[in-house]
Amino acid sequence: MVDQKELINAVKETVSREDVRYIVGYEEGTYGFETAPSFAYTSDDARKFIFNPLCTKNLVVYPILEEKLPLKREEQEDDRKIGIVVKGCDSRALVQILQEKGLKRENLVLIGIPCTGVVNTKKIKDKFPNQTEYTDVKEEKNHYVFSIEESVQKIPKKELLADVCKECEYPNPVIFDILIGEETEVETEPTYIEVREFEEKSLSEKWEYWKKHFENCIRCYACREACPLCYCKTCMADFLDPQWIRRSVDLSENTAWNIMRAFHLAGRCVSCGECERACPAEIPLMKLNKVLEKEIRELYDYTAGLDPEEKTLFGTFNPDDPEEFIM
Amino acid sequence: MENAIISKEKLPELFTQIIAKNKLFAPVKENGFSLFKEVEKASEIDTSYVNTRVPPKSIIFKQTETLFHFTPGKKGNVEKIPEENEKIVIYAIRTCDAKAFALLDPVFIGDFEDPYYSARRRNSVLIGLSCNNPGPACFCTSFDDSPASIEYVDILFTDLGYKYYIEGNSEIGKKFLEDHKTLFDAASGEDQKSRDKVEREAIGKIKRTMKLTGIVEKLDGMFDHPIWYESARKCIGCGTCTYLCPTCHCFDMQDESTLNKGARIRVWDSCMYPEYTHHASGHNPRPARMNRVRNRVYHKFNYFPKNTEVFGCTGCSRCIEYCSANIDIIEIINKIGEVKE
Repeated sequence: MVDQKELINAVKETVSREDVRYIVGYEEGTYGFETAPSFAYTSDDARKFIFNPLCTKNLVVYPILEEKLPLKREEQEDDRKIGIVVKGCDSRALVQILQEKGLKRENLVLIGIPCTGVVNTKKIKDKFPNQTEYTDVKEEKNHYVFSIEESVQKIPKKELLADVCKECEYPNPVIFDILIGEETEVETEPTYIEVREFEEKSLSEKWEYWKKHFENCIRCYACREACPLCYCKTCMADFLDPQWIRRSVDLSENTAWNIMRAFHLAGRCVSCGECERACPAEIPLMKLNKVLEKEIRELYDYTAGLDPEEKTLFGTFNPDDPEEFIM
Repeated sequence: MENAIISKEKLPELFTQIIAKNKLFAPVKENGFSLFKEVEKASEIDTSYVNTRVPPKSIIFKQTETLFHFTPGKKGNVEKIPEENEKIVIYAIRTCDAKAFALLDPVFIGDFEDPYYSARRRNSVLIGLSCNNPGPACFCTSFDDSPASIEYVDILFTDLGYKYYIEGNSEIGKKFLEDHKTLFDAASGEDQKSRDKVEREAIGKIKRTMKLTGIVEKLDGMFDHPIWYESARKCIGCGTCTYLCPTCHCFDMQDESTLNKGARIRVWDSCMYPEYTHHASGHNPRPARMNRVRNRVYHKFNYFPKNTEVFGCTGCSRCIEYCSANIDIIEIINKIGEVKE
């Protein structure tokens, strides 16, 4: 459990530093089981900060979303640091971006939070569909505890835990400046059981499965925008000349989009699950990402986003690299 | 025909009759969520839903519409695509989604008639289903509507447990009921009372309120207010809020061709993308997310009511529920209301 006071104090202290512009963290959402990204510019703003198992969002997307608007005459660029509250997976996304030189470490302050897994908000909403008031969820002894209309609910953790957290190997931030609370013990090693089971299916079964999901894609690009690693200045999906993917929303183009999105994250995806959470059509995008993660681990013994000094998978080459899969 | 009731056992027969003569669109559950689809059998229909993920505007205003085919070159030609003139019945549409058509009609069948939209719209019968269990972020009552409003549908069904209460609204709706009257029984005063009770209970379940008094005028003076920066900071810039909105109707036109054939298509577009306002010169009049979030709010709560005297929002709550950053239009509007001038 993260101590709320410790978190708020760390944010207050950090945001008061002269070289820090603002800090992104979490605050209570506007209803039900929602939490929202929160921006602290002053130590007063820090009082809203929370951390609980509902804090799902990967906030590393926000420094990437920073918009550099044209400066007014005599206006100086504000190059003070941005602070981010990061869980294990979020910090790995950041490491990957640092390796790719998308952001600079010296421009960031990281408040790390050892994570014990987040709630699958879709599941909790389905269980309590009429919850209008913001509900604070706490984790106690392998249960999620919260109150609904004054009656205390105690739900076993495994019932509501996000799938992506079930096989998490890195719940602790891999880089940070300040760590809040005790490190989480790592219990699991990924078995990729779901991926392996899926691989057993015949080609036509697999296609039927993906077809029914890709048909529902509305190409809103929430998966892309929510992903901290989708930060190309112009996405290949937005190109008109050449037009890699047509704007028509149909099975063919939707399939092209979803597969290309996953491929562009090969060796880069850190399994935070943000794409799948953001998808309004509930396409199981992590299933695609996990296949690539597993292949890359087996072929190259490589895991993305662990050490900022390390090179990216595609930035390295070894004459012994397996290449049987290349036609 | 007067108000009627139909027992749930007779409902499949009604659907069979409808399917024989019309394309029937109804909510079905697939991959764990509800969406409107063309159904071939009554058994596919699943009305245990609050709102479908994609609104039924997609049936009349399709996400991708092929306008014509063409072959390029000297011997090239254009092949027009005939309008769809099949009869459409949309069953179990919610009040908020049906109201959206009342907002879209002036856009597509106003000064310039869109043949594709208007052909489908004129051939459609909207059968509403009162919403007995509104979602946690629903707020149709803020617009003086109710989960059982009848004015936007041709016919309204209300679930009374083992039977449905049926009211005809428009001429089309009343004629439709007349055509299928063998399946209905006359409604009693008791039935009417039960229907009203269901409506009252549903209204009672809506807990959130958007305070709309004076908002149009208030927004006139708030274009440069810092609230837009605050609201847009969280925005990640995806198009979910606009694509899932029953009243959003922006589109883009594209020619998609191979070497010897092509098609002009119309696809949904979203004002939340930078590309939407990106000029050929390279200039973008809405360069930041702040500009785009502000435009979405202004369009629905200032420009739209100024042009058509109704708000461009029906309170369906999709943009709130499916926003991954918890951008909440109720909160934004209420905050604007509280700003001291």
